[in-house]
Amino acid sequence: MSEGPEKAIKEITKGFSKHGYICSKQIATAVYLASQLEKPILIEGPPGVGKTELANTAALHFEKEIIRLQCYEGLDESKALYEWRYGKQLLYTQILKEQMQEVLEGAKGLKESLNRLMDFEDIFFSEDFLESRPLLQALTNEDGAVLLIDEVDKADEEFEALLLEILSEFQISIPELGVRKATVKPLVMLTSNNSREIGDALKRRCLHLYIPFPEAKLERQIIQARVPEIKKSLQKQLVDFVQGIRELDLKKHPAISETIDWAKTLILLNSEELDAELATNTLNVLLKHQQDIDVVAKEVPRLISDSMGSPSGKSLN
Amino acid sequence: MERVLTDFVKALRNANVRVSPAETLDAMEVIDRVGYGNKKLLKRTLSIVLPKTPEEKDKFSSCFDDFFTDEIKTLKVIDLPSQDQEGSESNSDLANTLLEGSQAEIMLAIADAGEKSEIREIKYFTQRSVFTRRILEQMGVGKLEDEIMLMGQQNDGDVPSDLEQQLRSHLTGLRERVSDFVQQQFLLHGDVSGEQLREQVFKSMNMAQIDRSYLHEVHSLVRRMAKKLANMHSRRRKNFRRGKLDIRKTLRDNWVNQGILFNLKWSYKKLDRPKILVICDVSGSVGAYARFMLMFLFSLTEVVSKIRAFVFSSNLGEVTQDFKDAQLEPAIEKALQKHGGGSTDYGQALSDFISICLDDIDKKTTVVILGDARNNFGPEKTHLMKLIFERAKQVYWLNPEGKYRWNTGDSVMTNYSAYCTKVFQCGSIDQLERVIATLLRTAI
Repeated sequence: MSEGPEKAIKEITKGFSKHGYICSKQIATAVYLASQLEKPILIEGPPGVGKTELANTAALHFEKEIIRLQCYEGLDESKALYEWRYGKQLLYTQILKEQMQEVLEGAKGLKESLNRLMDFEDIFFSEDFLESRPLLQALTNEDGAVLLIDEVDKADEEFEALLLEILSEFQISIPELGVRKATVKPLVMLTSNNSREIGDALKRRCLHLYIPFPEAKLERQIIQARVPEIKKSLQKQLVDFVQGIRELDLKKHPAISETIDWAKTLILLNSEELDAELATNTLNVLLKHQQDIDVVAKEVPRLISDSMGSPSGKSLN
Repeated sequence: MERVLTDFVKALRNANVRVSPAETLDAMEVIDRVGYGNKKLLKRTLSIVLPKTPEEKDKFSSCFDDFFTDEIKTLKVIDLPSQDQEGSESNSDLANTLLEGSQAEIMLAIADAGEKSEIREIKYFTQRSVFTRRILEQMGVGKLEDEIMLMGQQNDGDVPSDLEQQLRSHLTGLRERVSDFVQQQFLLHGDVSGEQLREQVFKSMNMAQIDRSYLHEVHSLVRRMAKKLANMHSRRRKNFRRGKLDIRKTLRDNWVNQGILFNLKWSYKKLDRPKILVICDVSGSVGAYARFMLMFLFSLTEVVSKIRAFVFSSNLGEVTQDFKDAQLEPAIEKALQKHGGGSTDYGQALSDFISICLDDIDKKTTVVILGDARNNFGPEKTHLMKLIFERAKQVYWLNPEGKYRWNTGDSVMTNYSAYCTKVFQCGSIDQLERVIATLLRTAI
């Protein structure tokens, strides 16, 4: 019984790596479950570990369109769900006014005119004047879609409540038109940086994936996939160095995206090997706070010798 | 099989992982697909469905390992050939199971008897022996003992028969196994209720009476509380002033409609997060409380960003930065070492406070004073209190002493309380939580 899922999970891992995203088993399992159970995933983790990238890759892998909704304070339904095209509606009423005279021509008395008016088709609130925003788009997309709701913690609490209907039932109620249900359920991913606690109601409806900083082995694979031109020895040094930094007490630890940037920087500088001077000079790619840079600068010699330790040992043998 | 899952969910809840019925249903659906066969895969999938925060994931992981070891053990022993002896003449069911049954069957029998003895109800450490005895009785150990005794009597010779010896050794083995079983069940079902009980006691106990060796446990409790409070109140709230039209915004938004006012915009104002200044007395008279007060202060600075902390016994000093940079215990020690233990001088502390941060006190500021107002008959300088009171939005005084002791001896509570928005008695963690909740609610 467990054969099927394991195979499927392996396939996801493989498919993702084709698009340059190396994922741990945990991540692949989450994606598998989300596609099987048709449930949204809430992805949490420190910034720069590839939360958004995961959604992009999933879209590539499943060959679906990605629809992205970036959250921010003050985001409301008219920007997330749908809006009426007021301008067109206004024009429509003006056309209607002219039409009205034809319709009502020859009607006798108030009652008859009213009856005729009632029979007249009204499209003031109809699909024609509906402007879909990302969430509605994701539901109505006929080929299905990957819906990425990015940094949901930045939006207001009220917005979370708005999401509940969509996430559990995959439908949106538009008061004037009724309920719009998804034809093909989209794969929904929400990301959060934990700048505030997400409500329990929302969490309950989602699968929960926490992406931590990667282990050395995984990080090396990621660097290999993202910066293939890097030399093996330099790549190993670099990853060990970054792993060392993560053990220090810092304001913000370097994430994968920073490691990748740093690897690219080193390639650009044509460096063959990591030494103390080079590391100190390029620390600002890796660290984003002056305080952190000061802390790490003191530790550079030790970190360098640590990261040098294993390869040089090997070459001696 | 569903039973296994619900039991596991119960164990999770015991370990403080919140699992809702809907999530249990999700887990069931997941297990339908994944099955129990592959333990690693099962753990990975369940860890996506059930726990919803990083902390919960840690707890889940250890809980999972505890819970599912048993299954693995039974699976292993099944492979062993059971060492049964032919031609046993024993009568009781238990003896037969022991002699002939495989290890797995014995485990099953124990689990069954455990079920009947309501092992899940086990709550306290001390109940273990009671439950062990109860399960053994349920399995019919009494009868077996009688049988063995009878065998001994029938056997006239000095040497006990093979069967008797075998049964005796099996019985000892069974006792050990049942005791292990109870221990495991206790860890899953009982330990935490005990912990909850202890937490309740801590919460309602007077802080001065809590022994210092419990500092660590109390800290995790206080920290959880502080986090909860900060979460509830850290959001910037918007307050709609219903009925007041924001003309500028309305016009701007309705340009698209050729100036016809389709949708109206109402004005609202944003409410800022509270700014809190806390002054904590750490002098000798409140020595017993100081540690806990500081602990709370520390936890609060961890979770509320706009807070400044001051401590004093005679001279006052700011510790905000110390608290932010260091761990709990060194930070508290440092604060106590630097400022603690001396004789109280509220007058001096107040004038220090004013010279350090009078400019910071404005209409949004809440000032909180933790102390017993025992001033050693020194100058009270109530006019400084008045100055603070007039500038700040509100001033709270939290006194760890019981109300009956206020104004006795050198306590000058009344004189100060004239310049406080509100005065609370705050001796236990429960009281502290209630006070801080009111404070954060009104501090906005």
